[in-house]
Amino acid sequence: MVSTFASMADFLAPAQASFPEGVGSVTLAHYLFVSVAMFTMGLIGFLTRRNLIIMFLCTEMMFQAAGIALIAFSRFYLHHTGQSFVIFVLTVAAAEAALALALVVLLFRGRESLNADQWHSLKG
Amino acid sequence: MSSLLVLLAPEIVLFITTCIVMIVGLWPKLEVRSLAMPIAGMGLLIAGVLAINTPANPESILPNIIPYAKAMTAGVGLLLVLLLAGTVDRSYEAAVERGELRFNPIHTNRAEFFAFFLFSLTGLMLCASATDLIWLFLALELVSLPTYVMATISTRKLRSQEAGVKYFFLGALGAAIFLYGFALLYGGTGTTNLIGIRDALAEQAASGGINPIAMAGIILSLIGISFKIAAVPMHFYTADVYQGAAAPVSAMLAFVPKTAGFIAMMGILAAVGWQYAPGGETLAADGVGTLPRSIYVTLAAIAVLTMTVGNVLALLQRSIKRLLAYSSIAHTGYMLVALIAGPSIAAEAGITSNGLGAVLFYLLVYGVTNIGTFAVVACLERPQPDGEADELDDLEDLRGLCRTRPVLGWVMVICALGLLGLPPLLGFWAKFLLFTSAISAGEIALVVILGLNSAIAAFYYLKLVTLPLLEEPEGDAPATTPFASRTFAGVLSAALVLLAIIPTGIVDAAMEAADRAGTIVPANIEAIERSITAEALRDEPTPIIDR
Repeated sequence: MVSTFASMADFLAPAQASFPEGVGSVTLAHYLFVSVAMFTMGLIGFLTRRNLIIMFLCTEMMFQAAGIALIAFSRFYLHHTGQSFVIFVLTVAAAEAALALALVVLLFRGRESLNADQWHSLKG
Repeated sequence: MSSLLVLLAPEIVLFITTCIVMIVGLWPKLEVRSLAMPIAGMGLLIAGVLAINTPANPESILPNIIPYAKAMTAGVGLLLVLLLAGTVDRSYEAAVERGELRFNPIHTNRAEFFAFFLFSLTGLMLCASATDLIWLFLALELVSLPTYVMATISTRKLRSQEAGVKYFFLGALGAAIFLYGFALLYGGTGTTNLIGIRDALAEQAASGGINPIAMAGIILSLIGISFKIAAVPMHFYTADVYQGAAAPVSAMLAFVPKTAGFIAMMGILAAVGWQYAPGGETLAADGVGTLPRSIYVTLAAIAVLTMTVGNVLALLQRSIKRLLAYSSIAHTGYMLVALIAGPSIAAEAGITSNGLGAVLFYLLVYGVTNIGTFAVVACLERPQPDGEADELDDLEDLRGLCRTRPVLGWVMVICALGLLGLPPLLGFWAKFLLFTSAISAGEIALVVILGLNSAIAAFYYLKLVTLPLLEEPEGDAPATTPFASRTFAGVLSAALVLLAIIPTGIVDAAMEAADRAGTIVPANIEAIERSITAEALRDEPTPIIDR
């Protein structure tokens, strides 16, 4: 694990040459940190917020967290597989967004509310 | 390239059928419009015939799965098409026929309903042919996205919309989780090709243990995919969605996403391999072992919780559809036991010790039997003033059904006994294979829990048997749907469940096909170890003798 992160810095060295002094070196670990933070925030938001649109945006954030991780790994391995994966992820995310908006509009017509707690006629 | 086209021929046929159905279903003439369903059935039939004849794909991690999985999809899909007849547009079409309304394609759902159904099945077939994580991700999404819409539009009632929204939001969460898992798995191995991942993981295991990033990726993927198979951390939607959607759609939701999820899990676990030392993360010396410890613990916990939660909650239900939903969760737990057991390592060991074959056979049997029970619910209805009849969904409605509606009553009795796994029926043989494969893999504790849970399940399945069979009917016979094909689907699945009693050889052939489909090629550990040692020798600094 440690050796993985050490060799990461070597890979990214040319890209960091252009950074101004003081910024420090941006390594794979930094990207992964951002990605994990976004994923966790999305997950927590999904579980705690009750507005349907915000809940949907939280899942979108989790998708984009995966996208960041994919691109960072793609740069780390110096090939393009991860980047092409991201294109597909974006497409699927767009399809899901279209579906989510359609559902939200349909629901709002039916019940005049977007609060997830209002939807409890099915239980048992 | 051309060989890939041969492998994907069933999907291509289904896709073309989807496009035709989408156009035909919107035709102004009723006679043409009603062809949407037969065309969908024809497409599935052709796809199934093409699927049986596809060769094995050496580039796939599950090289032999394609013929079995695609033929199973087409076969169960045919039963589902019969069951889905008349689900949408019923009152609208009736009004058009009476001349009260002029046909307006904007207000109909038939075209997209059958088209989305076929899209979902196409996604399921693509899951079986997946060779790459990107492909697997897209196939899983193609399975799920249409089902969200189908659940929402299946009835015009608010409960269907609620079901669709719950299903969609939890589905998006599940997709995000397994996508993150795929991203980490790619990060930990440096490739998205499943065979490449298998070799990379075997190499890591041989030289000190699997990379923690890859391990986290595998576990996240499994948890995310557990949404598709309705396993415990992600099972909350199941009962609500199955109850809210129309019964034919619920029957589909119990089969299509579950099968896709299990095939995806098999692909990922086949990349990990079942050759680790028990209780450890390193390879077993003789190549016969189990999953790595952390994956094993995760899956075993999911399996035990899934079985128990499903069965205990099913005991408490009054609604037939909710009961079947919780039983569907329990069946997922049973299948996970065989998935943990894994394929047999010894060549020619046969179906009784092949866990993956057992799961594949169980999926087929569960799909068929489950369609029978849901067909009964889909056939009984209570007429409503607006023409959209409501389903009878209370256990009490089954009282004395064998007297009032003998055909439906007996279908329910036979299929409930099939789900229970009563010895001569098809369900018994499927469950028997789960037991034998888990025992031959040494998972005694899991087998004991599986047995206990099957005993709990008997309580509620016997309710489905005794209520129609032994109780006296109350009041008049319940009304039935005018769609004869639904009854036909129920009778057909009951006949298939009874098929195991007559020695026709069909069941044996299906078992053999499942066994073949579940055979995997494990990573060649010796070759990998040799290459690692060779590399280590090369990297060793040359000793300096003369100073």
